[in-house]
Amino acid sequence: MADSEMGEATLERKLAVYRNLDERFVIREERYKGQQFSHIYFMRLHHMRSQLQSLIPKWKPHLPVNTVLGLEEGKECIIVGTLYKHMKLKPSILDEYSKERSAIPLVKPHNFMSTDDHLILEDESGRVKLAGPMLAPSAFVTGIVIAVHGKETSEGDFFVEDFLEAGLAPQVDRPLDSREDKFVAFVSGLSVGTNAFNPLQFQLLVDHITGHLGDENEQRISSKIVRLVIVGNSMHISHGFFSGQTVAPKDHAKLTEPIRELDIFLTQLVAALPVDIMPGCNDPANYSLPQQPLHRCLFAGASAYNTFVSCTNPHHFELDNVQFVGTSGQNIDDLYKYSDAKDKIEFMERTLRWRHLAPTAPNTLGCYPYVDKDPFLIESCPHVYFVGNQEKYETRLLQGPDKQLVRLISIPRFCETGVAVMLNLRNLECHALSFSTNL
Amino acid sequence: MSSSTITSFFRQEKKRTNDGGGVTIAKLCSKIGLDLAPFLVSSTDQLRSTKELSKEAEERLREFDIDMRYGPSMGLTRIERWDRASALGLCPPADVECLLLATSTISHCLWQGRV
Repeated sequence: MADSEMGEATLERKLAVYRNLDERFVIREERYKGQQFSHIYFMRLHHMRSQLQSLIPKWKPHLPVNTVLGLEEGKECIIVGTLYKHMKLKPSILDEYSKERSAIPLVKPHNFMSTDDHLILEDESGRVKLAGPMLAPSAFVTGIVIAVHGKETSEGDFFVEDFLEAGLAPQVDRPLDSREDKFVAFVSGLSVGTNAFNPLQFQLLVDHITGHLGDENEQRISSKIVRLVIVGNSMHISHGFFSGQTVAPKDHAKLTEPIRELDIFLTQLVAALPVDIMPGCNDPANYSLPQQPLHRCLFAGASAYNTFVSCTNPHHFELDNVQFVGTSGQNIDDLYKYSDAKDKIEFMERTLRWRHLAPTAPNTLGCYPYVDKDPFLIESCPHVYFVGNQEKYETRLLQGPDKQLVRLISIPRFCETGVAVMLNLRNLECHALSFSTNL
Repeated sequence: MSSSTITSFFRQEKKRTNDGGGVTIAKLCSKIGLDLAPFLVSSTDQLRSTKELSKEAEERLREFDIDMRYGPSMGLTRIERWDRASALGLCPPADVECLLLATSTISHCLWQGRV
């Protein structure tokens, strides 16, 4: 809200109708009774198989669908199952027990792919190795459910002639009647508490969004921002504090200073507009996905406002009937470690095509051992899909075969780039907001 | 003075047994034509509700544990697995539900605690 000195009408901030849809990611009724991850894979396979089975008649109607155990050599058929990618470079906890421990620690490559990787398809009855040039292992990861067409060879492998991914889920129509521009601002990787954090740079962002910066034209633009989403890694608690030892009184300040500093900035923001804050891998939240909302007690100042919303990671919400889904980056970063693509946006596209936000969970990405659901399944294609804590700002408008339209946004780390992202709700156009304190 | 004893003021009521549960299970069983008698063995306990499962019943439940269609059996109780299968529309056998509801002990699958 900004006053103009010449006594003209006060600029009012635009409003948008918000619906928080994080309920499926909140861990409330679930109880851990020692269960393992087989249940989440069973739920995933069951759900995805029924979706694929409705698509198979349109793909290859004349072929029978078999189970893995029901394969006959030489008989052409379709099988549906979960992919497992065997990677020899993938670190395995069993290595600690099988080999002798060497004094030199293993060098961790950032990417565990090798040319020896091969794919295996598994359903309840069994598993079979997939052969043939159609499926390039570098584009796939463990945990996705696909249908493959081919036949069993004499060696017992399944030679793949063609494969089917579920593709983009059906999308609810976006309302097209809005005539005014309304913006959603995204920022990620603030990392308050590290040396990379520049308070002046973030204060510039805060002042711009709250409308305390610039002339009337700039304030007019700021008044159109209806919401700010902070996409993870807002603070950085030094990992030394997570070792489980008690924190000495002299170190208490190092633990609480970043949180308090962030709260001061957040209070300025929530006083001006609604803010959603998501946890990231460096925030004081649980490690495994879905990360639970940051606790209100961390934000003594900001949590007093009803515009402050602490969200889960992944985060699903609706603004003026536009569907938003986003994560703080762990799902895409894990795909980057185990597969190859030309850019992060392509990984994001793949997760939409596979209809699963985090297919590598629980294999290589920490995940809660759900028994009766898999909350990462994408049942309805969102209109905006955002991922935080990436290297650079990238965006693409993805078009689906059933008139789906998705805006994909890769949000860069603010502490490194000084870049925040603005999305226009009216037309899903996206642009970057760059803040620099270098003269 | 003759009949106005304290028992006429405070009428004694018979303690309610688990007739509510029993009636439902009986209804279920009669609906599917299952006679529970061969499956239930009276324990030495007087209360009707604690009936132990006979060997045939245990065999039937183990078949349910092994059945691949309803997903993994370890890590959840048999009735939870039955409910999950039912919620997914897999139509798990109704006689298994009867058997599971007829006993008061919550049973896990065969391998629970052993693997």
